[in-house]
Formats: sequence, C-alpha cells, structure tokens
Amino acid sequence: MIFEVRLPLIMPQMSVATIECLYVEPGEAVKMGSKLADLRVDLSSAFAQECPPVSYYRIVAREKAFVRSISATPGDLLEVDAPFVLFSTEPEEPLDQPVTRPMRTTIAGIMHHDGMVSDQKL
Amino acid sequence: MTLLPLTLGPLEASGYSLLRSGVRWLVADGQYCEAHQPIGYFNVSLEATGKVTGQPEFADEMELQVAIAPRIGGRLKLGDGLARGGYLSIRTIEEWRAGDVIGQLEMEETPEDERAGELRALMLAGRRMTALADVHTGLMPGWHSRTRGWWADGAEKPVTLLCQGVCDAVGVVSGSQTAFTEMFAMEQQATQMVYVPDHPIAPCAPILLDQITRTPSQFQAILEDAHAYFGGLSNAPTPNDWMFMGATLQALGSAPLKDNYPVFTPSGMQHLGAPQAVLMSLAVEPLAILRHKKLGYYMHVMRHHQAAAGPAVKSWLSQEFEVVKRPVEAIGKDYEALIDRLAKTSGTKVIALNRMSTSGHEDISSYMGFDAPLSATLSNVAAKEMNLVLDDIADTRRLDVIDIDAIGAELGGAEHLPDGIHQSGTLQTIARQAVLECLQDVRV
Repeated sequence: MIFEVRLPLIMPQMSVATIECLYVEPGEAVKMGSKLADLRVDLSSAFAQECPPVSYYRIVAREKAFVRSISATPGDLLEVDAPFVLFSTEPEEPLDQPVTRPMRTTIAGIMHHDGMVSDQKL
Repeated sequence: MTLLPLTLGPLEASGYSLLRSGVRWLVADGQYCEAHQPIGYFNVSLEATGKVTGQPEFADEMELQVAIAPRIGGRLKLGDGLARGGYLSIRTIEEWRAGDVIGQLEMEETPEDERAGELRALMLAGRRMTALADVHTGLMPGWHSRTRGWWADGAEKPVTLLCQGVCDAVGVVSGSQTAFTEMFAMEQQATQMVYVPDHPIAPCAPILLDQITRTPSQFQAILEDAHAYFGGLSNAPTPNDWMFMGATLQALGSAPLKDNYPVFTPSGMQHLGAPQAVLMSLAVEPLAILRHKKLGYYMHVMRHHQAAAGPAVKSWLSQEFEVVKRPVEAIGKDYEALIDRLAKTSGTKVIALNRMSTSGHEDISSYMGFDAPLSATLSNVAAKEMNLVLDDIADTRRLDVIDIDAIGAELGGAEHLPDGIHQSGTLQTIARQAVLECLQDVRV
C-alpha cells in the first residue's frame, strides 16, 4: 500500500510553508514517533504586522512504513497540500500504483533549533 | 439641536510659552465622533521666556505634539481656517491659547457640564533614534528610541507605565496609531504611557537588568571594545552595519527604567520620576541568549531584526558573543532578579503578559518524536512552564500577570491570536483594560 505526506493546512491563514529540516531518507523504515520533518509557517503574507508571525511545526509518524521517495529538500517552500514524502508498507513495493491514503501523522508546534535551515544562531 | 463650541483647554509649561502649528484633522467635517476620540493634532514647541540654564526641557524629544478629543460624542463641525496647510500645519506659528474655538459639536441637548466643550489633550513626545529621522506627517511620525503620551486634568500628577515588550505588549499600549490613542480614550485619570521599541535589542529580563546596573565606565568599555573590533576589520563596514551599530549602542547606553520625564500639563510643568510600572512580555524571553565573551553583557536581537544588520555586525555578534542556554528556571531567576532590583531602587512594579500556551493547530497523540525536555522542544509546553514560573514568582513578589493565555483561550486563539503573539483588536482591548486595572494600586 502506498501512502504519502502532503503539506498540511495547519492553520486556516497559511498557504505555504518552508521545509526547515527532513529527518528521513529514502529506504528508511519509520515507526510511530519517528520524526519526519520540521516546517516553518510564516503568515506575513496574510497579516500586516511589523514583525513576521512565524511559527514552527514538526510532523511525526504515527504508523510503520518505509520511506520511498522525497520530493523536497530543506529550504523548499511548499504549497498547502503539496505531496513531499511517499511511503509504502513494504520496502520493495512497486510505486506504480495509486496512493491509497495519507500517512497517519501528528503535528505539534516546536521551538526553533540549530538543525533548522533558517539561521537564528546570532 | 444645539451646537457646542469646542475649545482648547489650558496647557502651561513654567518658564516657557507653548506654540502650536495649524491643526491637522484626523476626522472629516460632519463626521460623528465618539467621546475621547482624537479628532486632530498640532505640532507644538516650547519657547523659553527667559534665560535657560542647562539643557532646555524636551531638547532631546524633537517630536512634540498635542492631539485633541471631545469629552462627549457628537457630529463635528470643524472650524474654518484652522488647518493652515503646508508648512504652517507643521511649523509652530501661534501661541496655544486656552479658550480658542476650533469647531463645534452638534448635539440633541446642551450638556449640563460647563466643561463639556473643553477638549481633552493628549500630549505626545518622541525621542528620535537619530535626529535625521524627521518625518512630518502623522501622529508621532519617524523612527524613535522612545515615545510617550500623557494626559491630565487640572493639577493631577500622571502615573507612568513603561512598555518594554514586544508585539503583544506594544499593540496594547501604543494602539493602532502608535500614539496611545486607545489608552487615552479608555483612561481619563492622569496617566503617562511610555514605549521603548524592541529593536535592535529585544527587552528581555537580562537586557533590562544590564541596562539599570550598567555604570558609565562599563558603557565606555563597550564603546571602546566596539570601536576596536570594527576599526580592526579588513573589510569596511557597510552603511547597514553603521546604522545597526548606532542604534545598538544607543540602546546599550540607555536605561528606560531609570528615565525621568518632564510633562507640561493644564496646571504647569511637572517632573515625573522613574515609571511606577513596567509592562513586559514573557514572549520575548529566549531559551538562548548571547553574552559578550569579554565584557559579559547580554545581547538579544530578534531574528527578523537581524536582517537589518550588515555583514560586519553579523560577524561581531557571532565572534564576540557566546550562546548561553536559558532553561525555564533561569528565565524565572532573571525575572526575580529584575523585580528585586526594581523593588530596592525605583519601586517600579512589574506587569507581565504571559504566553498563549495552546494553538488549536496541533493533534499530539504521542510525545514520541519530541525530545526531552519537552519545554525545550514543544513551544506550547515551554509556554505553559514559563507561565507557571511567572505565577510562582507572583506569589512571592510584586508582579502582576495578565493572563493572555486565558483571555486568548476564552476568545478563541485561532481567530484572535493566530500565531500566538499578534492579537486581534478585541483581545487588545481586553488586555488594555487589564493593564489599566493593574495601574490602580500605584496611583497615589
């Protein structure tokens, strides 16, 4: 069975998010609790504020699967609902079949950290 | 239907005469106006009536304005000829005279209060970040290192609130026009609101503590150290470097919590001491802060402000400073140290806005995938722990906590606090009322 992670609509005002870091690679097995990616949501385009309303989120797997392909790299700006990680239940399962459903994930707001692609070290 | 003449009230500054520009209206002729809503403003200046010894009052505040508001609501008929236009509405050209009629208010019945037509005055003063930042349009225009607004009737002495917060506090205090107009409309008792911007150095507790304990010789050492660093660079700093460093050194050399304030009022000039209360934001407290390797002072520049720095300043920050982790307990200790220091010196009360600790945008079914300690990983856990620390401090020290977390949850965080810090107008109004209630016990 093939399933995928698309960029989730975390809050209604967002239209895009930036991939801050990816924790998985193709061929890797993930299980419940595996970190998949950290995202940056910047609502500046939707809100006129003197400082950017930026928040960070982590996507974590809630089920077992094998990572088969990743179509984004850290720093990429993705639109909501854009697919960026493809999974399968078996490691060698053919990918020429339709995506069955979304990957089961958890999303939570996180603090900025040094592993993110955006620079906040100063 | 009756027409109530709207007149300027008395304003006096002992030793000075008060001059004003032509009026610049904030409303249109015929517009309905709420009570206490500013309808126009003047630029003003103080001209010494005799010999001045020392620095004249307000010499460091090049923006000086008075906004005016009716005490009761009604439809406005603006006076002819008062908006002089051009530079005559910018330069101060006439003496401020109490009783001058500037318009009329159309009302159903004549009010009984004989002062009903006397306009309330909101005095505004801005200290420019640089004297070059002269902008002639609008209320409190330009780039300021400090702005303030005050109001008083008769001989009342204003109580001062200093805002040293970030966006969650600034919007509450400065309001939509960044000229304290909402606070002015909400509070009729004599009050002064002071705002110091959160850039380039963000006002977290260790920064404020540094500012009030730094001696002149320590500041001189900072100046000399910066001079040595930038003077020794092989590549010349860029204009952005110079401007960023100018503002940074200006902030390092100031201590808003120790400032004194001259104010002109209806009863004459008054001199106000250190603020009775300071409003802070828990949201500005970082979990890691920079500390100068040699001189030991702290530096916290928010990420979106770092973009203003040139390459030389970025190198200076990364080479001359070290990163110091601040777990939640350390943030609490910094708050305690600041509160204790203020209690021993100026007596300034600390009011703090806590953090929104839920977002509604999460669906955590398991904490696997989030490294321990959770307060260093999950923003909502960090916010909850910091809020708890703040509550613990309030049990033992003079600290008022405004519960943004509860207000946001009550109103609906997704609608009124979508990113956890930038509030809706409704939430700001509630927080504004809460701030004013916190000021009640510092009024004499």
